[in-house]
Amino acid sequence: MSESDAQERWRTSRAPLGDRSNYKKVWEAQSRDVDVAALAVAGHTDEATLELTARGTIDMLKSTVGIDANDVILEIGCGIGRVGLPLSKECLHWVGTDISSGMLRHAAARLASRPNTTLVELATVGLQELPADSFDLVYCTIVFMHLLEWDRFRYVEEAFRVLRPGGRCYVDNFTVDTETGWKIFMESYSYLIDRRPAHISMSSSREELRTYLARAGFEDVRVHDLANGLIAATGRKPEAH
Amino acid sequence: MSTPGGTDSRIAELEAELQSVKRREAEYRVTMVKEFLDRGERNTYLHILRHERAALIRREQEASADLEILTRKIEDAEARISSLEAQLQAAAAPKDRWGKPVVKPVPAPALPPRPMLPGAPFTYYLHTSPFRIYRDDAFTLRGWAWPEDGRPITAVRVDVDGKLYLGRTGIDEPEVVARYGAQAHNPTPGFEITFETPAGRHAFSLEAQLSGEEWRSVMRTTIWCDPRAR
Repeated sequence: MSESDAQERWRTSRAPLGDRSNYKKVWEAQSRDVDVAALAVAGHTDEATLELTARGTIDMLKSTVGIDANDVILEIGCGIGRVGLPLSKECLHWVGTDISSGMLRHAAARLASRPNTTLVELATVGLQELPADSFDLVYCTIVFMHLLEWDRFRYVEEAFRVLRPGGRCYVDNFTVDTETGWKIFMESYSYLIDRRPAHISMSSSREELRTYLARAGFEDVRVHDLANGLIAATGRKPEAH
Repeated sequence: MSTPGGTDSRIAELEAELQSVKRREAEYRVTMVKEFLDRGERNTYLHILRHERAALIRREQEASADLEILTRKIEDAEARISSLEAQLQAAAAPKDRWGKPVVKPVPAPALPPRPMLPGAPFTYYLHTSPFRIYRDDAFTLRGWAWPEDGRPITAVRVDVDGKLYLGRTGIDEPEVVARYGAQAHNPTPGFEITFETPAGRHAFSLEAQLSGEEWRSVMRTTIWCDPRAR
């Protein structure tokens, strides 16, 4: 076989990557039961712990990108609305997006008492359902670990598009150079090769997150070490964009 | 001279105003997002056009504000020039044998064709800003207004160098009513007036008749009608 033939075969290979890219299928399956859904997106099922961890996330948002009472906020991958429920009490309007309609059904039940919230089902990776230049803050927490790198960057690009000039972006993930991150890594390591689930948690490096934000066009890009052992990258959309 | 306490309260007032503007702007964006979702526009050409239209309106408003500032500066400069010319004439006047200036009779300046009307506090907004360079032969001013004392506006007109142009009142402004509430005596506060714009600089006054009686000036300025465009 010539080298060009080999390259052609390599280039046109259609061997599937598995179901990891099929986020809708994977996360619809996780959302059938509310407790499974809560466990999948937050690691807990009881409302008190959900509230406690949500407060922790809000504190991290406050310390990294800030929250203002006049903010219009978008969450990428809101799941059952764990963060949206308390956060909607501290902002003008909160929009939760998720690729799973089942997750959004649970979120709608939990957010029934909050009139300043909107839930949007995403058709695929990206925020094509939402208009440009509309939000003060876009955040994505405990989601990147379930995405492939290209899809992480796609969401960062889309966050840039839907943010108003001067708007802030926050994304987080675990990294293998912290104790917490290493523990999550070893949990995934324990799976047998042929039994790894499609949603298995995968880490990011600090440089990976920093690069996504910088390449998307954000300025004032920073990487933060969070109190919960994760890392977050934040940036601001330029005013004169 | 403001006291430190006075300055603090002014800062607090301005901060409150800024917060209020930020909130209104954020509320507008929430409405836009909801409309976008309701219409299912996504990233369609229609949505892009709506965005471009909003940006153009914003740019036009900013340009009008810049022109208003420039117009006011020109008016101040003209007043200073007149004052300096008067001083120059007085200094250059010939002296008599005792060194006193010989006062020559100076022709009185041409009186404006009609005395300027006194102004009154109005709440108003002009959709088509008069602060612009006029390049056509006529211009239609559109806006809404009501006097702060609550009297009804029964007519509107524009005075350009003493020539009067009567307009039309009673035009619906549902968005204004939604924001400010219905005005008991001015339920339809919109108006429009078309006036001629001959080349050159002119004194301009927008005037409203209150309760069918007295006329009051809503705003006045000078306008510049570009002769090269004729």
